[in-house]
Amino acid sequence: MSDASDALPRIPRIVLFRVFLRSLLLQASWNPKGMQNLGLAYALYPALEVLYPERTALQAAVQRHLAFFNTHPYSAAAILGGVLYHERRIAAGQEPPSQAVAFKAALMGPLAALGDGFFWLSLKPAAGALSAALVPWLGLWAVLLFLVLYNAVHFSLRGWLFRLGLEQGDGLVVSLSRVRLPQRGALLRNLAAACAGGLVVIAAQRVVQVTGQRESALLALACVALAVLTYMRMAWRPARYVALYLAAGLAVLSAALIR
Amino acid sequence: MGGWYQLGIVGLYGGLLALERRAILQAMFSRPLVASTGMGVLLGDPTTGLWIGVLLELFHLGGASLGASLPEHETLSATSTTAAAVLMAPGESASPALWSLSILLCGGSGSFGRWLERRLDADTARRAEQANTRAEHGALGKAMRENLWALWAPFWVFGGATVLFGGLGLLLRPVVTDLSGALMQGLTWAFPAMLTVAAACGVRGSRSREAGRWGTLGGLAALLWVVGWWLGGEGT
Repeated sequence: MSDASDALPRIPRIVLFRVFLRSLLLQASWNPKGMQNLGLAYALYPALEVLYPERTALQAAVQRHLAFFNTHPYSAAAILGGVLYHERRIAAGQEPPSQAVAFKAALMGPLAALGDGFFWLSLKPAAGALSAALVPWLGLWAVLLFLVLYNAVHFSLRGWLFRLGLEQGDGLVVSLSRVRLPQRGALLRNLAAACAGGLVVIAAQRVVQVTGQRESALLALACVALAVLTYMRMAWRPARYVALYLAAGLAVLSAALIR
Repeated sequence: MGGWYQLGIVGLYGGLLALERRAILQAMFSRPLVASTGMGVLLGDPTTGLWIGVLLELFHLGGASLGASLPEHETLSATSTTAAAVLMAPGESASPALWSLSILLCGGSGSFGRWLERRLDADTARRAEQANTRAEHGALGKAMRENLWALWAPFWVFGGATVLFGGLGLLLRPVVTDLSGALMQGLTWAFPAMLTVAAACGVRGSRSREAGRWGTLGGLAALLWVVGWWLGGEGT
């Protein structure tokens, strides 16, 4: 470690752990104006209390983190770590306070896009569709599988991002790019599509199985046709609901006719 | 089974999951697959919760809160639909016909949940403003605690909304026993029929650029399995 690093104030591990735990409440007071501003200040507060024993300095630090802030709630861990990286230097007089603000402003947009793309639009659908597809075989265990699959990735990445920010500050961008999250996300989205596609057929087979009558194969085919049509017309917002009610109507009508 | 006291459990669970969905943790306990199954376990009918959860998970697969945009409140939809189905059942567990009926009645509550969420933003905006004012006056501890006070409103509001929709089940229980056999049979068939459509929504919700190709591949693989299952004599 360099002399400059040695001169920095230390944040005890227990306090860092408290910051990480409090970051799980980042969106508790999400609001349209400041978005996650209060959540961010709330999460950082225990560390800021350690770094700024003097009251006016602490107040100034809290106020600079009550400004607008919005990013993905998981990748926010990297920003929290990075802010503490800068706050340690600010407390030691090595950097101006504007450095922490600039760091947040520069990274919240890109990290939001990265987090949305990987966690919300890839990992969540993939874990959900895979677990749903396995329900006929695993039963209730599929729910546990969903939670384990999702959260093993979620919490390990969240913890890693926090440490990355804490240790590397602005340098976290380089390390983050090596993980290739967008490419992995594309694979997960394909997996989700394949699992859901498989379920279209399994559900159609259940139509025949539940009715127990050969004539109902027509109902199963009609459901598959409706499913394909729904897939093609999803851009029209009410399409999902119209198709859902139409499928139920078809089934009720078929039951009346086949009887 | 079932009783008005169960609505208390329904409300508590619905309120807690609404917090998990947006404000605390976000570890996916509030996704339909988990939320519905949990509601089913709490009300003594896990199978009902599991299958309603599968359907609604696929139906809401692509929903995500991006920036300031809000998706439908899939958690309210899942918890209230499951509660309604279980509380509607006159016997030990709800039949697939009741699963369908509750989905048709409460499945759309997600849109109402989104509307509620927008209204609640006014409360959190007020709290954030108050936190700013308190920080300016040096009351830092109190300012930070506003973040926690903001949790109460969504807890009560979504707990209440879950009770409102879930309570439909209790109200309809006497009516359900009088429904004709043909209609109940049709509703039984309706569940897998709706599941087919929900799975198609899931293919689109995957957000894959090649969703059609991968969905077809998955469908073909499942078709091979189904054919094998029939040839194996299981289907007779």
